[in-house]
Amino acid sequence: MKRILLLRGAELIVFACLATIPLLVVNPYALGLLTLLAIYGILLIGLDVTVGYLGQVNLGHVAFLGLGAYAAGLAVTRFGLGMGPALVAAMGVGLVLGSLLALPALRLEGPQFALATLSFAALSTTALNELEGITGGAQGLSLSRPQILGHVLTPSLFYWLCMALLAVVWMLMRNLLASQWGRAFEALRDSPIATDAMGVGTYRHKVAAFALGSSLGGLAGGLYAFNFEYLQPQSFTYDLMIILLLGVVLGGRKSLWGAFVGASVIVLLPNLLSNRHLFQIFSGLGFALALGAGLRGLVKKTTRPFQALAPVVAMGILVVGGLLVENTENWRKAIFALMLFSVVVGLPEGLMGFLSIFLAKLFRVPHAPLPVPTDIETLLPPHAADGSPLLVLEDLKRHFGGVRAVDGLSLTIRSGTIHGLIGPNGSGKSTVVNVISGLYTPSSGRILLRGAVLPSGSLYRVSKAGVARTFQNLQLFGELTALENVMVALRGVYRSPLPLVLLGLARPEERRAQADALCLLDRIGLKDQALTKAKDLTYGAQRFLEVARALARKPDLLILDEPAAGLAHPDVVQLIEIIRRVHRRGISILLIEHHMDVVSELCDVVTVLDGGKVIAEGTPDEVKRDPKVVEAYLGQPAGPSEPSLGGAEPLPA
Amino acid sequence: MLQVEDLHAGYGASEVLTGTTLSVKKGTLVALIGANGAGKTTTMRAISGSLKPGRGRVVLDGQEVQGLDASRIARLGLAHAPEGRKVFGPLSVEDNLLLGAYSRLPRFFGFRTKAQADLNRVYDLFPRLRDRARQASGTLSGGEQQMLAIGRALMARPKVMLLDEPSMGLAPVIVQEVFRTIRRLKEEGITLLLVEQFAKSALEVADYAYVMEHGRIAVEGTPDELSRNERVIAAYLG
Repeated sequence: MKRILLLRGAELIVFACLATIPLLVVNPYALGLLTLLAIYGILLIGLDVTVGYLGQVNLGHVAFLGLGAYAAGLAVTRFGLGMGPALVAAMGVGLVLGSLLALPALRLEGPQFALATLSFAALSTTALNELEGITGGAQGLSLSRPQILGHVLTPSLFYWLCMALLAVVWMLMRNLLASQWGRAFEALRDSPIATDAMGVGTYRHKVAAFALGSSLGGLAGGLYAFNFEYLQPQSFTYDLMIILLLGVVLGGRKSLWGAFVGASVIVLLPNLLSNRHLFQIFSGLGFALALGAGLRGLVKKTTRPFQALAPVVAMGILVVGGLLVENTENWRKAIFALMLFSVVVGLPEGLMGFLSIFLAKLFRVPHAPLPVPTDIETLLPPHAADGSPLLVLEDLKRHFGGVRAVDGLSLTIRSGTIHGLIGPNGSGKSTVVNVISGLYTPSSGRILLRGAVLPSGSLYRVSKAGVARTFQNLQLFGELTALENVMVALRGVYRSPLPLVLLGLARPEERRAQADALCLLDRIGLKDQALTKAKDLTYGAQRFLEVARALARKPDLLILDEPAAGLAHPDVVQLIEIIRRVHRRGISILLIEHHMDVVSELCDVVTVLDGGKVIAEGTPDEVKRDPKVVEAYLGQPAGPSEPSLGGAEPLPA
Repeated sequence: MLQVEDLHAGYGASEVLTGTTLSVKKGTLVALIGANGAGKTTTMRAISGSLKPGRGRVVLDGQEVQGLDASRIARLGLAHAPEGRKVFGPLSVEDNLLLGAYSRLPRFFGFRTKAQADLNRVYDLFPRLRDRARQASGTLSGGEQQMLAIGRALMARPKVMLLDEPSMGLAPVIVQEVFRTIRRLKEEGITLLLVEQFAKSALEVADYAYVMEHGRIAVEGTPDELSRNERVIAAYLG
């Protein structure tokens, strides 16, 4: 509770101060700037969804500002709508066009996505310019602020409206980002494959996030139209886009406060530039900040010399330039460029990221205490394991070009068993796992789960059907904590519809998810490290966390893809114990593994693959004695975990 | 040949190595074993310069190299075959090998002729790589990629080679082959520092071994001594 008060306290104080300003300040110019701050705040929060949370470079956001502005403007001038409906229309335009752009664009990655959004921005500016009959073209569109409930909106009232909307957007976004939605956004940035495999549809979440950001862009556009009461297509071009990106990066990604700080900076920038004296003070401050951050980084050894020095030099140029240049405004773009460069190099986490180090020290806000773990009996009630066929592969084939990675594989995994799958490197084991789990589509053949055809070619749908997997090359969500990694994957907990989540009414569900996840972490011995980021865990712990996360799917069949790879002896012992515990819950397991001692210790049945085909099947002891297996896989029967290395042995030909 | 004294290193604020000291004599094979997270790979990375050590000395053939760039340390005669192999997937096997010799051969003329002798030596050691010389290395099996990573390190004619977990993720029959290769490298007089999960096998080939715990050396000795040490047996040899 104290923590919540502290965190929320800062927000309440800032918004309260902002709300009282019109009562104290009569300067209309200052009020205009603050109104713009609220509008840009909403705009940047929207942009931060794609740039920060999805980690995609979005160069099209400015188009949604423009489209929203024109939508609101036209709604008022052409259709005579009131302000409320006009703002809804602006948001709607952002939402619809955002979804339409996202559907194809988010199938692309990285630079291609950036280019797609850039083309969209170019397209929409051109359209606004050329559709003269509707938009007035380059002549611009004049409108006047409609009344609300018979009240004329004075600048103060309009300011309050904008601030109120910013506060609402802020609150809703905070609730959303603290929920499973926010976790899903972050997870799919770290590993889209694992996000799908954990039953959280990557693509639909990406599209939803982009549409959400765009609708906020549209809303900001509507307010923008009513603020300036005059629109021109030229206002929404790349120049502004660069400034918006500067705002998000400078403020700090993945942070509502960051968007607010960024918005303040970009609102104040033009004024700083128009006054030489102010600019000199500002560049001096920037220089001091660069110097401070650089020195701190060097002393704490968190930055390299280049990272520390480059921003100092860039800011130094600004200081010297500010003294030399007569009219700073003409140098606007050069100044933005230097600032963006300094921030990207020196403060990759942005101003808020940098300041949060000190704020955290100042407030020492403890993490909210974790709930009592759920009882394992309620979380994972023992499955009935009757030995009936659970997963059946029928003549499964998967070819890559001419390579027959899996070549006619038939296999039955019975419920309640631990089924081992071994074979030399390149024998097709990984391909089998990837085909079953939906990463690859089979070339031919059928996969049946409890007699029903398992969806093919979709990690997401296979995961929904009750098959969970781990990844040989770890696919954890590195930036999320161990607890959150498990929470992302939890099945059947998140039921609240989006409106409830936005209003923050899904908290009980969130507590339950924490309790469930904690129970699973307890099972793998990581309860004490629940709040450690996955990327900071030891290698062994990361391997175990993969298992816990897959368990959160409450699967009928758990596929473990080389869980012991790279583990040292003590960790292997622990892993065996973990797998035993999972098995005791009645969960059937398909275990792909090279450590023969793990396989012998755990498996009821072992299938040996070579060249994409089964060469042997039986109990571990049976296959170990099989001459074909010895030749293709085990080498000398001396025991594979301790390869015997007689010096007289012939070298491989 | 390689001397490490009181080495400290870590990632960001967390210090993984808290004063590691070890030495590798010329022509010997030294094994480094220990649990996951004990700091074995970090030691390798701090020696080869892919991670800057915070404190301590690394002496390679009489010359202090701590704090130098990884490329500079490589030129001074240290080759690192990293964990997870890290071959250049889209490049052919031969190009991967030639890149191994990049730092010590002329850049433009006569590169290939001068590298040919070394190529032949690597191909003699790993005939399978010769068969696949033109194939993209990403399409090799795990075992072949490991051979390639070792071959690439050999191409630099290193004074010391660091081998990090060469057996990781490989089938038992291939693991045996990897260890035969290591034995052969040793017979050729190459100085080796080996990190390995298969502690037993590592001790069988090593001349001397160190056991790491919590970022420092906990026990050291000849393989015979370690195999009799009850603490080592309980924790690592199972």
